[in-house]
Amino acid sequence: MAAPRALGSARGLRALSRPVFQLQSQSPSPSFPSPSLSRCFSGSVPCLHDANAPSPSDRASSAGAAGNKTTHFGYETVLESEKENRVAGVFHSVAESYDRMNDLMSFGWHRVWKDHFVASLAPGLSTSNPGQPQRILDVAGGTGDIAFRLVSAAHAASPNPKLHVTVSDINSSMLSVGRDRSLALPASHQACLSFLEANAERLPPQVQDNSLDLYTVVFGIRNFTNPLAALREAHRVLKPGGVFACLEFSKADKHPLFNYVYKRWSFGAIPLIGQLVAGDRDSYQYLVESIERFPSQEQFRDMILEAGFEVSGDGYEDLTGGVAAIHKGVKPLA
Amino acid sequence: MSPSRRFGTSLASQLLRTPLPPSTTRTAFGRHCYHSYDHPPAVAVSYGSTEQAILSAAYTHVPQHGFSQRALALGAEDAGYPTISASVLPDGAFSLIRYHLVTRREELSGKTKTIFGEKNLGAQQLSTAARVEQLTWERLLGNKDVVHRWQEALAIMAQPSYMPSSLKELSLLADDIWFLAGDTSVDPSWYTKRASLATIYASSELFMTTDKSEGFFETRDFLRRRLEEVKQMGSVVGSVSQWLGFTANAGINVLRNKGLRI
Repeated sequence: MAAPRALGSARGLRALSRPVFQLQSQSPSPSFPSPSLSRCFSGSVPCLHDANAPSPSDRASSAGAAGNKTTHFGYETVLESEKENRVAGVFHSVAESYDRMNDLMSFGWHRVWKDHFVASLAPGLSTSNPGQPQRILDVAGGTGDIAFRLVSAAHAASPNPKLHVTVSDINSSMLSVGRDRSLALPASHQACLSFLEANAERLPPQVQDNSLDLYTVVFGIRNFTNPLAALREAHRVLKPGGVFACLEFSKADKHPLFNYVYKRWSFGAIPLIGQLVAGDRDSYQYLVESIERFPSQEQFRDMILEAGFEVSGDGYEDLTGGVAAIHKGVKPLA
Repeated sequence: MSPSRRFGTSLASQLLRTPLPPSTTRTAFGRHCYHSYDHPPAVAVSYGSTEQAILSAAYTHVPQHGFSQRALALGAEDAGYPTISASVLPDGAFSLIRYHLVTRREELSGKTKTIFGEKNLGAQQLSTAARVEQLTWERLLGNKDVVHRWQEALAIMAQPSYMPSSLKELSLLADDIWFLAGDTSVDPSWYTKRASLATIYASSELFMTTDKSEGFFETRDFLRRRLEEVKQMGSVVGSVSQWLGFTANAGINVLRNKGLRI
């Protein structure tokens, strides 16, 4: 447990901050989570929280400034300026247990999704030898899951791929987990990797306009304060013909019965597993709420179109009945 | 520790008691699955400009490289895109197969006039059956250039994730052929006609992949024989059902004569 702890539970912070934020706009489900549950658990488990996150009094004062735009943080409505810190708090606290938790929550199935996602992109595929160099940016790729898969897929496709993957994450804790894990890779794979701490809504100048072949973001864009800004940024840095690819939780509404079981699992079991395994209920409560708040396949596809991409067919591919979906867009040539 | 006991018993109940978000169910049927003169389908845009550019360029590489990711990558490069652009197509190699199926099928309606054009003006009208045969043969010839790669394609089409859209294309093709042949039936034979034609088309296509004859004349004979069988089968089924109907009717009348209130 390297993550620093702050006094008081995050729930306590919410209780303090909620009345202030409700002035800004209506919270969609103020009764959530149910009072009986919080009585059961809130006393027994100390919640992790990032020490860098602003104290309740800071929040109250910053919320007092009128005219600030709000966004959602799970089921809560918070200021846009606030969300970044709150998400940072979540991921600082789950970084260590992130991969173990993913296995438990999805029965290991997230690996199948990620493998399929990477295979469908065919990174490093070239029609000539030596091929054209490829530059890839893996946004919100902290622990390196996707970047490592991209690199190894490229090495499987050709013996000496001219490929460079930049792993970018806003969160230094996640990034350092990825950096540590990358040391176990073969040297040829490590040579293709670099790490960058950056906000995907405002990429730093070293990521130039029209410079990337592929932009991936896997289970990340849900947490962005302004996903559309990130999409526009992706459009800016991709080459004409470059591909935006996103794997994200989505809606399983097409299969009502399955959806019911899935929602039972995610709202009932996932926060519980988070509490038992990672000792952090609130972060995982946020996780499932943020999945629920994320736009549907069609809405997100329309956002991708709005950012200037072209899509193929429906523009998305459902995985496991829509629990997750792959969205792809291509930046037009002209 | 008393809290831990309480904790244990609450696990199961918690799983079931957690409130769920209001779920929305969608029931949207986009377009109807038959041809309608009164409600023509909205102008179907099969492909966007980028996919069209990549797929049509990639299609020219199919005879050499098969329905493969490599053909797609070559196509993307020919069309002036980076190699990676091909990966925007959601189904990889299957996208190329579907492109073949869709374009060949759509071509058929354009060809109808040239196939039947002159004959229609003359006195002798082709029968619907003959038109169906003609159109099916025309569609089979659409596979001519890629027939040596078609077994690979069939293997990909048979994969569980692609099966539904492959079958959908097949049913659309059968529907198109009957429609273009001028069939206007609105009875249950609407279904049997399409089902039998789809079966015949699929088996002829498979036959064609191993056909080495000049101009695929063996495939043509195969197709003729299958269609003839169905015709005979249809007339047998028709006669049998007519006989059954007559006998049942007569039986009921006999019973009524005996004083039964039916």
